[in-house]
Amino acid sequence: MALQGISVVELSGLAPGPFCAMVLADFGARVVRVDRPGSRYDVSRLGRGKRSLVLDLKQPRGAAVLRRLCERSDVLLEPFRRGVMEKLQLGPEILQRENPRLIYARLSGFGQSGSFSRLAGHDINYLALSGVLSKIGRSGENPYAPLNLLADFAGGGLMCALGIIMALFDRTRTGKGQVIDANMVEGAAYLSSFLWKTQKSSLWEAPRGQNMLDGGAPFYTTYRTADGEFMAVGAIEPQFYELLIKGLGLKSDELPNQMSMDDWPEMKKKFADVFAKKTKAEWCQIFDGADACVTPVLTLEEVVHHDHHKERGSFITSEEQDVSPRPAPLLLNTPAIPSFKRDPFVGEHTEEILEEFGFSREEIYQLNSDKIIESNKVKASL
Amino acid sequence: MALQGISVVELSGLAPGPFCAMVLADFGARVVRVDRPGSRYDVSRLGRGKRSLVLDLKQPRGAAVLRRLCERSDVLLEPFRRGVMEKLQLGPEILQRENPRLIYARLSGFGQSGSFSRLAGHDINYLALSGVLSKIGRSGENPYAPLNLLADFAGGGLMCALGIIMALFDRTRTGKGQVIDANMVEGAAYLSSFLWKTQKSSLWEAPRGQNMLDGGAPFYTTYRTADGEFMAVGAIEPQFYELLIKGLGELILLKIQQETVSCQARQTLLSVKQWPSLQPKSWGFVWL
Repeated sequence: MALQGISVVELSGLAPGPFCAMVLADFGARVVRVDRPGSRYDVSRLGRGKRSLVLDLKQPRGAAVLRRLCERSDVLLEPFRRGVMEKLQLGPEILQRENPRLIYARLSGFGQSGSFSRLAGHDINYLALSGVLSKIGRSGENPYAPLNLLADFAGGGLMCALGIIMALFDRTRTGKGQVIDANMVEGAAYLSSFLWKTQKSSLWEAPRGQNMLDGGAPFYTTYRTADGEFMAVGAIEPQFYELLIKGLGLKSDELPNQMSMDDWPEMKKKFADVFAKKTKAEWCQIFDGADACVTPVLTLEEVVHHDHHKERGSFITSEEQDVSPRPAPLLLNTPAIPSFKRDPFVGEHTEEILEEFGFSREEIYQLNSDKIIESNKVKASL
Repeated sequence: MALQGISVVELSGLAPGPFCAMVLADFGARVVRVDRPGSRYDVSRLGRGKRSLVLDLKQPRGAAVLRRLCERSDVLLEPFRRGVMEKLQLGPEILQRENPRLIYARLSGFGQSGSFSRLAGHDINYLALSGVLSKIGRSGENPYAPLNLLADFAGGGLMCALGIIMALFDRTRTGKGQVIDANMVEGAAYLSSFLWKTQKSSLWEAPRGQNMLDGGAPFYTTYRTADGEFMAVGAIEPQFYELLIKGLGELILLKIQQETVSCQARQTLLSVKQWPSLQPKSWGFVWL
């Protein structure tokens, strides 16, 4: 796998960090997740391929354990607000002095500097501050955050993973690690560069929700079917739009011009009426195999049964019969090999990991009895 | 810069490919964009840091020019549907025979195989097929695609860039390039793994648009202000929620006290069944 031999220490947090580390694990890195004492389970459920160690970083001896782990690791991933690691005496100057090859990845909401950098926040706040949220949402409604996908995952976890791999690549030439300031506000903005770059174009001329790509166009939106399901229409180019009209059983000469924005609200109603007359399956019969850019809106459950996904193996099933997406993208020579085992229990591998990192049995015993670490091996074997 | 010395040949296309190549250029790669004869300008406006060459790939001599460029390049990025490059005699077997170190990145909508792989589509179609679109949208409304950000850019361009850098990293050890099948359906799905992983949890118990993260919660949404602008609220944890309530002022406290004993208010407000009564209609007028 692409990241074979790379070792990562992930300090446990919510969504973005776990996703970033999961991507690294999927592509071959050995990921150790450091959980807090008392944490019962992984809220984000993104523990695939990782091992878990419970360590009290607030204790100086706990911080010392982490420093020893980082001496022998390639990547440290920390998800805290500005200043937290420094307060624990675990800032980059300290850790990189001990290991100049360490890639110190800091994945936060607002970044390592700036007036908001010490504040709490969640995806919607980062997306709001990035400018991107202001462009998303239907006409006449408030801006709408698409779950926590854009800031937590795209602008956060995925962007940070990109930075980590770039730093690993750079290190093959320089021999040195570096600090990465990956934050969700800037990540979401950079991801959405297209919006700034096309701001002066006609793409965003109308108020929010009335443009082609944000819900205004009848040929770029979703429609409800007779059985309460949905179809997605994305027929922008004239030749695809023709096929859409044909598939709907309409006649183009009886309709206004495709790009006549004044007619869009009326056209949406017209299309909606037509879509409402047939079921999703019937529409799929009509449009599958056609270049009309009409596709079913599949549910999370339906995807596994769809021909296209079955043929490609796009979804994987774990030993526990849980379905999730196969890692992307596909690298044909060194594909990701995601673990099929269940996610680790909190503290399941504490002792095993410390032994691997050169801690003696006496040290481990002492750390355990002094409550610097926790080992939950017993629970795991139940 | 991290990608100093890396040379990329980008075959011009819409949004996803240009964004991917722009990321590479931003981080130091030398990017040559191959434009079609007759194309007048870069629709996606994501040409930062690139140079442009116009080449007719449909002509055998044009294809031969591209092969020469690829002999001396590290990355080729092609945005076409399955089969297009092969038809031009520019498929990976040919180009990698001439340059085994070439990273051949294929960024498409539906992928290099599968029943939809020869069809046209756009972001909203890929997002729909991925399963992700079904989870996005307000209660009582149709699913809503957030512009073309999730499939074109996140699951497409960015995911492909990740793959390219991983292939470059891998090449430092193996000396060989490889083919990357980066497609927007799988990219959007993988990006959103969290949705599948938490499907059985209480996070998605309610119908679309009525859950905590998809518009159902009064403490995780946007509100309109007196001047027609908007504020975003994301106060999930109790201690942050307290501060939200405090910041909203006396009017809210009064309303809470009217409805229930204040020490129970937190429990009540966090109870999903109470959310609709606390939605914008009752709070919207209060904002400072």
